[in-house]
Amino acid sequence: MILPKFNYKKAEDIAAAIALYEKAKGRARYLAGGTDLIPRVKLRLSTPGTIIDLKGIEQLHTISRQRGSLIIGANVTLFELKNHDVVKNHFPALYESLDATSCETLQMRGTIGGNILQNTRCLLYNKSLEWRTARGFCYKMGGESCNVVPGASECFSNYCSDNALSLLSLSASVNLAGPGGERKIKLEKLFSGNGRDPFTMRPGEILTEIRVPVKASSGAYEKLRVRNAIDYPLLGVAVSIRNGSGRVCVGGIGPAPRVYPLKDLSKTSLKEVAQHARQEAKPVSNAALSPGYRKKMVQTLTQRAVKRALKEEK
Amino acid sequence: MSDDLNIVGKRVVRSDTLAKVTGQARYTADLKFPNMLTAKVLRSPFPHARILGIDLSRALKVPGVKAAISGFDAYGVKWGVFRYTQDHAMLPTDKVRYVGEDVAAVAAVDEETALEALSLIKVDYEPLPAVFDPEEAMQEGAPQIHEAYQNNINIHVHIDVGDVDRAMAEAFLVREDTFKAAGEAYAMMEPYAVVASYANGFLELWMPNAGPHVRAKALSNLLKMPLNRVRVRHIYSGGAFGGRSEVSPGDLVASLLSIKAGRPVKLVLSREENATSTRQIHDMIATVKTGMSRDGTIVAKDYRVIYDGGAYSSTGPIATSIPFYVYEECYRFPNVRYNGYRVLTNKGIRGMYGCHGRAFLAGNESQMDLMAKELGLDPVDVRLKNGLSSGEMTATKSLITSCGLAQTIARASESTHFKEKWPKAKRGKGIGMGCIAIMCGFPMGFRSGSACYVKMNDDGQATIVTGVVDNGQGNESVVIQVASEVLGIPMEDINLINADTEATNLDPGAYSQAATFVGANAVRVACENARRKITAIAAEKLGVPAEDLDLKDRMVFSMTTPDKKMPVRWIVREAFFRGDPIAATGSYFPKIDIEREWVSRPWGQMAGTFSFGTSVAEVRIDSHTGRITVPRFTAAHDCGRPINPMAVEGQMEGSIQQAGIAAIMEGNLWDHGFLLNPDLLEYKVPLACDMPEIDTIIISSMDPEGPFGAKEGGLTIRMNAYSAIACAVTNATDALFTELPLTPDRVLTILERKKGVKK
Repeated sequence: MILPKFNYKKAEDIAAAIALYEKAKGRARYLAGGTDLIPRVKLRLSTPGTIIDLKGIEQLHTISRQRGSLIIGANVTLFELKNHDVVKNHFPALYESLDATSCETLQMRGTIGGNILQNTRCLLYNKSLEWRTARGFCYKMGGESCNVVPGASECFSNYCSDNALSLLSLSASVNLAGPGGERKIKLEKLFSGNGRDPFTMRPGEILTEIRVPVKASSGAYEKLRVRNAIDYPLLGVAVSIRNGSGRVCVGGIGPAPRVYPLKDLSKTSLKEVAQHARQEAKPVSNAALSPGYRKKMVQTLTQRAVKRALKEEK
Repeated sequence: MSDDLNIVGKRVVRSDTLAKVTGQARYTADLKFPNMLTAKVLRSPFPHARILGIDLSRALKVPGVKAAISGFDAYGVKWGVFRYTQDHAMLPTDKVRYVGEDVAAVAAVDEETALEALSLIKVDYEPLPAVFDPEEAMQEGAPQIHEAYQNNINIHVHIDVGDVDRAMAEAFLVREDTFKAAGEAYAMMEPYAVVASYANGFLELWMPNAGPHVRAKALSNLLKMPLNRVRVRHIYSGGAFGGRSEVSPGDLVASLLSIKAGRPVKLVLSREENATSTRQIHDMIATVKTGMSRDGTIVAKDYRVIYDGGAYSSTGPIATSIPFYVYEECYRFPNVRYNGYRVLTNKGIRGMYGCHGRAFLAGNESQMDLMAKELGLDPVDVRLKNGLSSGEMTATKSLITSCGLAQTIARASESTHFKEKWPKAKRGKGIGMGCIAIMCGFPMGFRSGSACYVKMNDDGQATIVTGVVDNGQGNESVVIQVASEVLGIPMEDINLINADTEATNLDPGAYSQAATFVGANAVRVACENARRKITAIAAEKLGVPAEDLDLKDRMVFSMTTPDKKMPVRWIVREAFFRGDPIAATGSYFPKIDIEREWVSRPWGQMAGTFSFGTSVAEVRIDSHTGRITVPRFTAAHDCGRPINPMAVEGQMEGSIQQAGIAAIMEGNLWDHGFLLNPDLLEYKVPLACDMPEIDTIIISSMDPEGPFGAKEGGLTIRMNAYSAIACAVTNATDALFTELPLTPDRVLTILERKKGVKK
């Protein structure tokens, strides 16, 4: 499948990228690793007039430590991040989720910013224009209904980043820069919960960096998938624990990840969190395995991830 | 033939390896010709709809568009593999029958122009009710997809041997179970592509195909052109697995466009089009009833199998039969009844597949294990007891002439300690065995045989000309290796001209396991004929009897007095002087019953020989998630004498992936008539990291007819690897599967049902 025509611009710095975006009057997309955007453009799921390449922006490609936080530039590749000492030594959940992302070849191409900002997915959505036209446009394509759940009023597409889940479990925040200036938000605030438009980003905003408090944690990432590589999560559960409390994050089901605090590590509260997460998960028939199974696995994998995290804690 | 062979049986580097690993091998999509146009196909958006009209006029006005066609530009001929299955117009003019069916096409100077033109073609449709489930399609009142097939029953294969009802009534133990399996995708690495070039009244074509001669014949019918004017050329193929044995709509599309435009036309399908609009694999529902005596002897089998055939016949009669035959070629069934129904639905067309029949075969084998357990018997013993051996007849009267089945069972079970492990299975850990036989070739009328032409060139090298086609399994290398052995010259001295309908003779093609047994046999005969001419001259020159001469390392030499020798090259030159160059033909026609027919006469000798195989899978099941892992897989294969053991092992390993590990992940997913996973992300082909430790065991049985004793290599493992997986899961869970693939959700359901957990 060939790409449609678009203008290609390469930005030298963040300000230049934003200026290019404004010049394109909003009909532009930012490009980092391209592992999410290029397939989407090929399928005509995204038809930007201009693609603004951020790969040349040095500032986005650094990892540093500042005031107790690890500052990760959005263009750091998943592979580079996976092999960073702080990640290896302090953030086991993040290390595991990075390692579980696709395959090493794509980890070397995909960036952490792009991985967080990947669009939501659905078996009936990530298809060619011909396929989608024949099937009829759904909410996410600008249509009037959901093709998976007839009569539904919302879009059930799945957010499939592995690494957003572990970053959420580590209480990460993100920096955004756009035409209206810079802002810093907690990572959980990035998600709109609306599958049609899953992020709360404002037009022209660029995710510039991710900040993670550098405190040793114990943790784990559990991923449900059919094959041992390449596949997106059918469910992902990240757990990170620091000083007797922690966070559980469940994703891969629905348009936004869900975060659950682990106030203490008692058996009862752990069980409650796993059950609660299962109750709240609303999978539908839009991914490879049955929705009933994916729902059941929320509890199973949460318990498993917590168990592994606690084992490390000891 | 003596056992001390020089080339055959050796682990040689395949003749095509260098071109492939260096990227020099050219595939159809790589071809470029002057003035070549790009074609794109407009496809049906409806699963079932009447075509009221097709308007190409606006598309033709787009600058750069050189031709546009629909079925109204074709000749009204319908294709069918058999006289009674001629139902596929390739470009329909009456109605469309599945989403993705070819409706119209354009050829333009580039892809963008072609895409723009496609969007301007106007097709008026009247949508019709559609049916997607084969059992619903068989009901009265279901939407009728073709007038010719009442209740959408496309093919009914009925076989009845002995007295099944009586034997079943007298059996000690009877069990009936139903098994389902999702259809699969061929997922060959090369999406379908075709280049057609029409000039001076001749049509030349390049496309991945598993039989150039049948392809050319079909196109000559569809285009109403004399066969000599349709020339299918040799090209590298990126996989077929049974999915490229027939003419494809793309062949007709590219040909019509090239004829209209007078320029070469290239059509390359997308990955999605390759999945939706070429061939798919049958979904199946198999009901298996087995009667066993107290000692584990199978006394009766009664089968009802429904094959979801999609929209057209394709190889229907064959596909409806093969799962049964490969099973009856393996085990002794004194009383057996088989009712196979191929039912049409408004889904993509289903063809033959190298792993065809998994619900039926895995169902039979895992049911056999549960019955053995109930009788307190060991599955290995039950298989040995019921397995056929050399000299026996199958239920439908095929004589087995060489059979290493018992050895494959014995070796596979010894090497895995099967007998110790099987009774000790615990929940979460199991071992299972699957057995099968397969015919090497099947009756295809006058196309059942192969012929070869060989000529010796001035410097003592040879050119062999054969219709044998290679879809990646190594057939070209096999025939070169055979010629090298007979002619006593190294493989690199042999040039091959093959699979080109103008230059090469008829051959059965590479979809009935005939390439080695039939095709390479013809090459052997031709080379032996050439060799006799060489030794006749050499005998005269060296003053020794011809019977005393052997050929090796480019030399002819006396076996009794090895000093007496001369280069083959000298003899070739001498022959030129004598005006009688060294050249020969040879052919091979298998000993088969050519009266045998899939529907009307399902008995008689099916093939010249049969190969056999046993697979053993060891599985672990995560009891909380239902996820299966396969730490070890062992396969033993009687392939006769292996021509190239390394190539046979490669086929066995590929089979373990494509059938074995695929049994836990591969399956097409449907949303009514829409294929949900027409890509390599959501269609789960097992990856390297999903593969088990593999142990391949070759049982060399020396077939009396095969070239140097060879039979087909690898396909038996494709036809039993899923059985081994299913049996291992049965062993671990003490329950039968109900549906393949055995994805974790299904496995967890098996575990919970066994535990009595409510959903």
